[in-house]
Amino acid sequence: MEEFHPHNDEMTFNAEEAHSIVKECIEGILGKVDYNHNKVNQWTATIVEQSLTHLVKLGKTYKYIVTCAVMQKSGAGLHTASSCFWDTTTDGTCTVRWENRTMNCIVNVFAIAVVL
Amino acid sequence: MCPAGVKGALQDAEEVARAQSVIFLTDFFPPVRFRSSTVKECIHAILKENLANVQYDPEETPQLTRSLSETIKDRLKEEGFYRYKMVVQVVIGEQRGEGVNMAARCFWDSDTDNYAQDIFMNDSLFCVVAAFGCFYY
Repeated sequence: MEEFHPHNDEMTFNAEEAHSIVKECIEGILGKVDYNHNKVNQWTATIVEQSLTHLVKLGKTYKYIVTCAVMQKSGAGLHTASSCFWDTTTDGTCTVRWENRTMNCIVNVFAIAVVL
Repeated sequence: MCPAGVKGALQDAEEVARAQSVIFLTDFFPPVRFRSSTVKECIHAILKENLANVQYDPEETPQLTRSLSETIKDRLKEEGFYRYKMVVQVVIGEQRGEGVNMAARCFWDSDTDNYAQDIFMNDSLFCVVAAFGCFYY
């Protein structure tokens, strides 16, 4: 069992790292497919689960919230906004937008620090 | 309801105690849980009030989405969830019969942390709100 020493003096959320992790997950799952009503449930679930697993593997003392919205491309508009009440020095968020010919995908990651 | 004078005195007492390294039980166990049902009702009321007769407009909707998330966050702050960090996410889309699917997964302490969601629809738009609360130990 490894010794785990969380460094809390300068803990900030690394958004670039999270961005690349999530982007990789999305590419892996939606990269080569078109919008399919029967499978989209499974896809969104897999995207959030995989992203979450990879983020947790970073081993930082954070609580994570990952949300994903997949929308069929039909010319309709979609807007998302979020408002957070937290400690801006330690907590952070990251949004990944991805699209292909038939669908749009937006993944939000919220990371909330746990001070032990 | 706590009268202002008493609340001030309690806050001073808490500061003194913390300076003496006293640990409160409420540092680890939330006195008021982030109840899904309570929060859902707040969100529902705000959505009904703000979106009842609103039509989807590509210019106005971004501003509306932002202000809605701020409003809901402020309202939840007023509810008085002691030591809870909160995230409110609002998604508004145009109703054109397209398929949308949203999912969320969270890595947290399920004894203390929780979420609430609500969906509002009219003929020109749909709105999904998710509010997450994480306890700060």
